Amino acid sequence: MVVERAERLNVLTAEIRLQLSASFRLDCAFEVPTGFTVLFGPSGSGKTSVLDCIAGIKTPDSGKIAIDGTRLFDSTQSVDLHPEERKLAYVFQSLALFPHLSVAENVAYGLQQETNGGTTERSRKMLAQFGIGQLEARKPVDLSGGERQRVALARSLVTNPRAFLLDEPLAALDRPTRKKIVDDLRDWNAAQNVPILYVTHSVREALALGERVLVMEQGRIIASGAPAELLNPEDWD
Amino acid sequence: MNWPAIFLSLRLATLVCAVLLVVGAPLAYWIAFSRSRWKFLAEAVVALPLVLPPTVLGYYMLVALGPKSPLGRLAESVLSTRLTFSFPGLVIASVLYSLPFAVQPMANAFSSIDPKLLDAAAVLGAPAWRRFRTITLPLAKAGLLTAVVLSFAHTIGEFGVVLMVGGNIPGVTQTISIAIYDEVQALDYAVAARTSALLLIFSFTTLALVYALNRRSSLWWSSARNA
Repeated sequence: MVVERAERLNVLTAEIRLQLSASFRLDCAFEVPTGFTVLFGPSGSGKTSVLDCIAGIKTPDSGKIAIDGTRLFDSTQSVDLHPEERKLAYVFQSLALFPHLSVAENVAYGLQQETNGGTTERSRKMLAQFGIGQLEARKPVDLSGGERQRVALARSLVTNPRAFLLDEPLAALDRPTRKKIVDDLRDWNAAQNVPILYVTHSVREALALGERVLVMEQGRIIASGAPAELLNPEDWD
Repeated sequence: MNWPAIFLSLRLATLVCAVLLVVGAPLAYWIAFSRSRWKFLAEAVVALPLVLPPTVLGYYMLVALGPKSPLGRLAESVLSTRLTFSFPGLVIASVLYSLPFAVQPMANAFSSIDPKLLDAAAVLGAPAWRRFRTITLPLAKAGLLTAVVLSFAHTIGEFGVVLMVGGNIPGVTQTISIAIYDEVQALDYAVAARTSALLLIFSFTTLALVYALNRRSSLWWSSARNA
């Protein structure tokens, strides 16, 4: 039972039921251990809504969501933390970089609630780690696609999140850029060791990225396991 | 040139803008983001001054602010002031009359902000007030400025409502447009022409400024979105 495992460390557990429209209901339960887990499914299968529920942007009708022993949402206990209290990172499909702020200001945005100092240094380190230190004074409008992806990742990861949610953030990039960014992300997670839930509808991306895959269809998880066992590029692409 | 009337109009317009920013911004925010099924009623009430003849609005204001009305009695007992035929009454009437000119540009500016930006700020740990201060306000800056400029210009040029509520008391309620009316009635066309030219230049400059701001803002947004 998913709920009984909620207190395990470094595991994101979710049990989500949400009526999104008259004909579409999200009803799924799964867990995401540390490392990459790919949430795979066709467009309109409810993948983004799952991430929105975990991040606290959407509220499930019922269910439970927990990370590192902390309940983020529990309909039976009336627990529903605001997004700003969940300490998660979420890279949206549109990236949602703040257009009026510079790269440095975007990356430092999530650190401004912290009072323990050293935030500028952390922000600089993260910029350097993602190879965008020289862009810190630029606005998002002046960046290339790959640079914007890096800024979005750096902005999310600098907050030391408890889990990381990515909604097809690399779909528009060419393969070498995508591979480089994923490698950077893997390097970061080698040190942090948090659950990463990566949404995609591309079989190739799922096969390349995932250590585990959850296959979603019509709001439900219909299969889970190793990507190579579940996904066949000829069947899906 | 009737300088007291000009200064009174400027003082009135400045105060009205300040009140409209404080009262209008939360109302505009609510209109932009609320999912209430009754939102259309609030939008209709805010837009009423656009279609109501100023004399009708002025009449209702006169009744609502009169010495026998609850509001009038409250002002007399608490502030020892009358609301009709006084400067405070002019401010209240002008705020209501210019409400759509402030609320609509602000509501449009707020609703043009991508909600994902606010979601991203929330996930990054920013509470509601910080999201409003650091994301919503800066991105709605052009709309807020448009609201201020339009409200200011509309208040400077209003005639019917201020005449109904404030009358025509020099130095107290006589605004620039009422002064022009007085000058024409007194066949003093030279002074009326100078004051009218001043208003014409002011109105043209204001509108040019608003269109320039809107153009700059839409260019900025389209480049940000296409990036």
